[in-house]
Amino acid sequence: MAKEPEYIIVNIDTPRKYNWSTGKYLGHVYAEAKENKKLVGNKCPKCKAIMWGPTIVCPKCKVETGWEWEELPETGTVTQYTYLVFPLWDPHYGERWANPHPSGTILLENGVYQRHFLEETDPEKLKVGMRVQAVWKEDYDERGLGMQDVPYYRTIEE
Amino acid sequence: MANKVAIVGIGQTYHKSNRPDVNMPEMVGEAVRAALEDADMNIKDIEATFHANMETFEGIYMPDHIMAAEMGGFGKPGLKVATGGTSGGSAVCEGFYMVASGLQDVVMVVGYEKQDCGDTTAAITAALVPSWSKGAATGAIGEFAKQALSYMETSGAKEEHAAMVRLKADKGACRNPYAHLKLGLTSIDQVLESGYLVWPLRFLDFCPQSCGACVLILASEEKAKKITKKPVWLADVEVVHQEPFRAGTFGDPTGTETYTQHVACENIYKRNGITNVRRDIDLAEIYEPSNWEEMNLYEHFHFCEKGEGWKLIEKGVTEMDGEFPVNPSGGVIATNPIGATPIIRVAEAALQIRGDAGEHQATRDVKTALASALGGPNWTTLALLKREM
Amino acid sequence: MQTTSEKIEGMDVWLYHGQIYIPNTFSAGATGSRFLTTIRDKAKITGTRCKECNRVYVPARSVCKDCFAQLKEWVEVSDKGTVLSYTIDSEPKPIHPTDAPVIYGIIQLDGADTGFVHMIGGADPEQLRIGMRVQAVFKPKEERIGSVLDIKHFKPL
Repeated sequence: MAKEPEYIIVNIDTPRKYNWSTGKYLGHVYAEAKENKKLVGNKCPKCKAIMWGPTIVCPKCKVETGWEWEELPETGTVTQYTYLVFPLWDPHYGERWANPHPSGTILLENGVYQRHFLEETDPEKLKVGMRVQAVWKEDYDERGLGMQDVPYYRTIEE
Repeated sequence: MANKVAIVGIGQTYHKSNRPDVNMPEMVGEAVRAALEDADMNIKDIEATFHANMETFEGIYMPDHIMAAEMGGFGKPGLKVATGGTSGGSAVCEGFYMVASGLQDVVMVVGYEKQDCGDTTAAITAALVPSWSKGAATGAIGEFAKQALSYMETSGAKEEHAAMVRLKADKGACRNPYAHLKLGLTSIDQVLESGYLVWPLRFLDFCPQSCGACVLILASEEKAKKITKKPVWLADVEVVHQEPFRAGTFGDPTGTETYTQHVACENIYKRNGITNVRRDIDLAEIYEPSNWEEMNLYEHFHFCEKGEGWKLIEKGVTEMDGEFPVNPSGGVIATNPIGATPIIRVAEAALQIRGDAGEHQATRDVKTALASALGGPNWTTLALLKREM
Repeated sequence: MQTTSEKIEGMDVWLYHGQIYIPNTFSAGATGSRFLTTIRDKAKITGTRCKECNRVYVPARSVCKDCFAQLKEWVEVSDKGTVLSYTIDSEPKPIHPTDAPVIYGIIQLDGADTGFVHMIGGADPEQLRIGMRVQAVFKPKEERIGSVLDIKHFKPL
């Protein structure tokens, strides 16, 4: 039998570090989250939709949005969700996600969709239509990462 | 008025999870040589190369700089495009534009991905804006999981229907010499017994990470008639991009978002006088990363009414021997070398029109076919292929 | 790694300090692997010759960029060569194979038609010049792993 040829494999195992500027629109979200524990979006002057994340231009109307800000409601309804079963790799932390790591699409009261993690880890209790509320990092010094200042949404009874 | 554009050469590699025997350019070279052989052409006849690859999936930044030799592109114009899953579709459009405009007569469209180099799901997660991506980003898989859930909730489809899509795909893949996953499935229970990857997506609901490359040679009418007796006409192409959806990237439970698939197919149908899709088109090769998304795409491309995609699979309409075959090649859930995937869709559609698909040739005669690609935050590219023009 | 951010003084802009960390794996392929294992096992540098234009590529590669010919003929080239160009990088960087300053050279080995990028070592910067003759210094056999760095550097002759 022919000998299996030897193939050389090279492994590159180096994090690529970067500094990423938020720009002033997302920067305003960072500031409001850090200082006032508020998530804010800016408003399209034409269609009045709240931009989340905030943008300089409304993608639908293609007009400049400007600097009119509105606080996002703290509560909303889950319209979609999923959770990890296979341990996927998280490139930001450089490790595998701790499962089940549920995440969902949450319809906030003002019509904004928020895509975020859910606190509830019991698959039996995750449901479309469940009501959730933002949970904030209470320690001022731990805040400063924009939307990540809300680490997840917690199920609420109403 | 645009000049006519023909597909005159088709080549692809076999597809596999790991290819330690070749580096990325060498793998591409295999498909380039296969396409030249198919067209019975010399590399000197190729005027320019357009290539597609998502470089972050391999971690080889700017792969263009190592590709020229194996692609036969040294000393020639070349452009690389990276638009996520649609990269290959975008490259087909570039090639089409060049020949249709008359600027070049014979060009090569090349797509490749060597996914044994990295972790594609992680790379997609990393592609998002850093501040947001910590918010519920698990690559494309998480988005297609949410799409599956919404599709189930809104259309009434059952997991059994998704399993039927995989069974159909596997039947095709087992007959396709180039396909990656050939599972030899015999019942939907085998799919329903596979474990969850990201709930509610099971392992067998989703596409693999493949290494592979695919190449098309495009030519003007005058050149095409000299090169081949069986040109397949690339009648039209369409590209539609957009912002990420607010309500859900691939599945929108609110029904309020505009899908790029709608915009793209309505444009291309209108320009080409297609009013009844399943009457005016004979076959489709679509880019379905999951079996749930395939049923969703049936609806988006108006193969059926909204909410009825699962009925097409249930009735066997889209089987290889059905009235409107979709993905007789086995599709993307069997084979997904991302940069190459949309080019494989066009290549497979062209093989069906030529009658050269071999064991996976559709039963019905295919004169007109549609090929799609899906990528980024749900972008769409389309290609319409015809035997006669 | 914990992600952090900082507000830029006097602006409504924040800098997000992040990372993308995805381990990557690259295969050298059959041709590249044979080139590397020959250095490892025999301390010899090899190339491939194009049958059409007669050019010898070092490092060995599988296709000629001009002729598109597939290269199957292996040739051994000398461990001595001529410096075509060089540069000195004094800045320490994680990507450097050795401590800074690093002298990178493009070296045409005797018998090869292409430049081979490697490091020049054991040389006084004052002594460097284009056209100088150099010779490969291989690491001891037990330290060689099938990497281009199994050649420690090229030393002046």
